[in-house]
Order: sequence, then structure tokens, then C-alpha cells
Amino acid sequence: MVEPAIALFGGTYEKAARILDELLRESGARYTLLLDRKGFVLAHKEALWAPKPPALDSLATLIAGNAAATQALAKMLGEPRFNELLHQGATYGLFVEEVGELALLVVIFDKSVPVGRVKLYGKRAAQALEEITQAAVVSPGALGIDREYREGASALLDELFGN
Amino acid sequence: MSTINFAAREINFKIVYYGPGMSGKTTNLKWVFQQIPQNRKGEMVSLATEDERTLFFDFLPVDLGEVKGFKTRFHLYTVPGQVFYNASRKLILRGVDGIVFVADSASNRLRANAESMRNLRENLAEYGIKLEDIPIVLQANKRDAPDALPVEMIQAVIDPEKRFPIFEAVATTGMGVFETLKAVSREVLSRVASS
Repeated sequence: MVEPAIALFGGTYEKAARILDELLRESGARYTLLLDRKGFVLAHKEALWAPKPPALDSLATLIAGNAAATQALAKMLGEPRFNELLHQGATYGLFVEEVGELALLVVIFDKSVPVGRVKLYGKRAAQALEEITQAAVVSPGALGIDREYREGASALLDELFGN
Repeated sequence: MSTINFAAREINFKIVYYGPGMSGKTTNLKWVFQQIPQNRKGEMVSLATEDERTLFFDFLPVDLGEVKGFKTRFHLYTVPGQVFYNASRKLILRGVDGIVFVADSASNRLRANAESMRNLRENLAEYGIKLEDIPIVLQANKRDAPDALPVEMIQAVIDPEKRFPIFEAVATTGMGVFETLKAVSREVLSRVASS
């Protein structure tokens, strides 16, 4: 409730999507995602040559959970947070860079891509995205969800869960 | 706080199932997952130990459908109930929009219910949230237990001021599961709409 929300739309969203696209091209990675720290996907891009990504909701939730857990670890070590996380397997790698306090940049790449390249371009993209997300922060009250929306959603609840 | 993605025309809400260990939080989610049609749900993610006790969280995205051009989704989470997992339990509460507190009706778990509610209050306080700031719905689960306590007694312990609605449930058979979820969803919606 106290947590501000990030609302990306219009030109702001386009800008963010362009940065993700550019990052894909520069780094040679498969997928790039911008998440908020609660685990919701704000924007994502896939390389045209890459196969269909795994379920994005599951990815986002696990990455946000992981980032939250490592942040708690960092705090125990006297550090406010770790700015970057890197997981590497035999074939795939996952790079997570924080985008300010509210968002995370995720790059998923395979072994054809050098880690250094992902880090270099990833950090640069994260800096550019930080300005954009900061400008897109809205106070919870300003989301503009009205009564009509509430009633519509309420009817759908009955439809899905029965009366 | 809910997330609106205007580009994808999506509104997302986060609902967390809280409560003491073994009270039936994961069972609630599993029932929802089983019952709703394929096209209205995403994958269920469970981070659990070998013996199926929740270690970090369970996660289930549910698609409500489209309202005024916006795809509306509820992200359901459970927390690990066991006392010693508080560090990870606290993380799951980040950005929560609504809470279902699943209480265990068994007589020897009355105290565990009370401790879990106190723990919820303390963890929310760390995010600067008070219990009354957030939609909370109570569920007295395991009504089929032979030694199930009267609902009034459970409510007296976890919510003596009777501030929150309470539902009876047997999550293993689905009784009360949808009613509880519907109630908390409605409260979440009315909260955002009025603010």
C-alpha cells in the first residue's frame, strides 16, 4: 500500500522498450525484461531468433523473490543491497541489475555470449532505465481506477468463482 | 500497491495467504489452481521441501478477464508458515494489496494462530503498514477436524474486535476456498477504487 507504483505507458513505455531492444542487439542475449521489485513484468523483449521464453510471470516472481532474498542477505552483511546478481549454468546465464529502488533489469543469455558484454551493456541500459522508471512512479491514489471498473471486475469475480 | 501496466493494458493485484504452519495455505492455492479453467490461470510455482512444506512461497497468477479494456490479474502468494522462516515470510509481504489469514481450527493450534497474527502485524509494521490499512479476510480452515474449535473462539483469539470478515473452510474439499478469495478480491477492488 505504501509502495509507490510504476506506471509505464505511451512514450515512456516506448523508450523503455527501445532500451531493452537495443540491449538485446548489443549484448546478443535472448531475452530482456524490466520488472518491478514485487515481481510484475513492466516490459519485455525477445530476440527474434530465440525460442519462446519460459512463463514470464513465473520468471519475474522468482527473480524478484531471489533479489529480495539477496537484498536481505546484503543487509545482514552491512550493505544496503547488492546491485547486480549473476547466475551461470552450463548453457544459460541470468544477469540481474537493479534499476533504482523499485525495478530490476533482467538479461537472459546463452553461452555464445561473453558475460562481460552482458554486464557492460546491462549496466548502461539500467542507468538509462532508472531515469525512465523514476519519472513513471505514480502515487497509489493516482491510478484512476473508478467505480465502473470496480463493478465490472466484481461481476467477473462472480463469473469465475461462482455466486 | 497494485501495478498498472498501461502499455500491456494490465492491472495486477497481489494477494498473500498468511497463517501458521500447516494451516492449509498451499492447499487453498492448489484448489484454486485445479478448479479454474486453463485459459484463466498461469503456471503454479511452488518452492517447497521434499515433504511439501513451503520453503519460500507458492505463486499462482489468475486472470480475471478484461474490465474497461484492462486485463485484470490477481497474483496469489502463500508464505511459509513455520516460525523459523520469518525472514523469507517478510519478503513476500512486499507490495501486498490484500491478505487472507488462514487459521487452523484444531484445538492444539489456537495459540499458533494467535502468534501468526501477531507476527503478521509486526512484519507489516516494518513496511509501515497497519492491519487496518489493508484488506484482510480470515478463514477458519479444517472445519472437518474432529476437535475443531468453535469459529467464535478462533475469531476471539486472532481478531477480538471482529474487524475482519471470517469464512469457514475445508480447503482439501474446496469448501469456502472461492468464497474467501472472492471476499478478499472484492475488498481489494473497492479499496483501490475509492482511493
